[in-house]
Amino acid sequence: MDALVAHSLSKTYRGGGRSVRALDNVDLTIAQGQLFGFLGRNGAGKTTFIKIAAGLLLPSSGSVQLFGTDVVAHPREVRERIAIVPQEGKPFYHLTPREHVEEYLQVRGASSETSKSRADEVLKAMGLEPYARTPAMLLSGGLQQRTLVAMILATDAEFLFLDEPTLGMDPFARRQVWEVIRRSVRNGSTVLLTTHYLDEAEQLTDELAVIEGGRVLYRGTPDALKSKVRREVRLHFSSGFSAEELAPFGEVYAERGGLTVMTTRAQVEELTRMALERKIAVNVGPVTLEEAFLTLVGRDIEEEDSEAPLA
Amino acid sequence: MTWRRQANAVFRICWFNGFLGLVRSPLVFVALFLTPLSFLFFLYVVAPRAELPFGVVGGVLFSCLFTGSGMMNDCAYLRLERQLQQVFITSPLRPISWVLGMALSELTFTIPALVLFLGVLTLVISISIGAFFALLGVIILTWLLASSLGFLLSTFFRTLREIWPIGMVIFTTLSVLPPVFYPLAAVPASFRWVAYLAPSTFASQLAVRAAGLPAASVPSVPALGSIPAELLGLVGLAVLFTGVAMRFARWREP
Repeated sequence: MDALVAHSLSKTYRGGGRSVRALDNVDLTIAQGQLFGFLGRNGAGKTTFIKIAAGLLLPSSGSVQLFGTDVVAHPREVRERIAIVPQEGKPFYHLTPREHVEEYLQVRGASSETSKSRADEVLKAMGLEPYARTPAMLLSGGLQQRTLVAMILATDAEFLFLDEPTLGMDPFARRQVWEVIRRSVRNGSTVLLTTHYLDEAEQLTDELAVIEGGRVLYRGTPDALKSKVRREVRLHFSSGFSAEELAPFGEVYAERGGLTVMTTRAQVEELTRMALERKIAVNVGPVTLEEAFLTLVGRDIEEEDSEAPLA
Repeated sequence: MTWRRQANAVFRICWFNGFLGLVRSPLVFVALFLTPLSFLFFLYVVAPRAELPFGVVGGVLFSCLFTGSGMMNDCAYLRLERQLQQVFITSPLRPISWVLGMALSELTFTIPALVLFLGVLTLVISISIGAFFALLGVIILTWLLASSLGFLLSTFFRTLREIWPIGMVIFTTLSVLPPVFYPLAAVPASFRWVAYLAPSTFASQLAVRAAGLPAASVPSVPALGSIPAELLGLVGLAVLFTGVAMRFARWREP
């Protein structure tokens, strides 16, 4: 059964004599129990989609159904079944993580006992136990974000909208959050996750969609997206090579103060031999989801000019 | 979610947002006393002693009206800066329960000031039990009216920067300019009806009558200056403001 069905969903923001089309005829379905990823650069339309699907924003045209209920026509029925981590949300400054989780669960209708036991569970799983009784105003940004995410992941909502839930968290905390997200899915929740961490999307999602300029460019598994890149291996040289020298081996990008070449397995040996002859360190790895994403949306995007192809 | 659970949620919001917010930020406590007490002190120094009870009644009403300003600020802050309104309304909690919980929180912030002013009032005039409950009714209606207005306004802001000037204009117009801290009799007789353009005048005149203080007549519109008209006005406006807030408040961005 489909948990979410969006049909020809469009949204145009108007104001100040300008109009911006944030979503352009988006068709999307998410199956029940799926952990679905939404990738796209800033302003691509991810948050707009989530806000409409969660009943927080009206679409310009098109429809979204959640578990068969129209979100625009029946927002109350839909809201009863969802929970959302908003992008850049922040907890109450005067409440502790434990209070956040317990009070939020009770506001959602859980009993005091259930709220307490779930709070214990989720605070432990997300590494918040040592800070459970510290007011949020004394917590770091990452811990505050974890508190907000803990509130939502402690619920038994059937559909979870997680808009960049691990923003600002350290790698350890991110992995703890991933585990709790996986547990929610195991318990029957459907999750729509947006993230700029492509390793997160690769680790977590069953399927993902890449959105660009309000349109869905790709929908499929992370592996299938990676296979869209013709090259299989990426080599990064911090120095010692020019873009012209590397160009015959594949696509070359300026990256992290050096050069990265995307190439085939067959050419790796030749390139590493050249690097060894010049006594240059080389970093070799498989093509990542990030490479596939950048290839799909195009590297020559304004915000990432530094990674525009050189050759 | 059942009505019982909704009611429980309302009190939970009042508990963690209002009560815990108050006890963990004592400065809020001080700030809430400061403005009405300053007005009261000013009246004590410059006004004739006979007018002091009007100032105390004014302090009671100002505190109630201030819940509207607090409601506007807090709701806008939780929606725009913290994005917590979105977190709470995307849940089985009904939007009206969220509003009621927030309004009760604001009332919680105001209760210490109300207790103080009501205490002072009993010192400056003798007040019967019946009058006390009448005053309590006016307080509740004024709180409802101010909270509804505050919430409605909060949903239209796009940035926190807009709140300060708009809040100042609206709540100063409601609480300082009309005869809240001074008697209606101080307004020239032929212009007294103008004061009733502010909803707070209905509340202040009812409160003045409940406290047993002399209420002024409105010669140009005599029906206005009567208890039934003022009661009808206050109840009608409270219901109207609440209805408008529930109907037109923007739960979804357009």
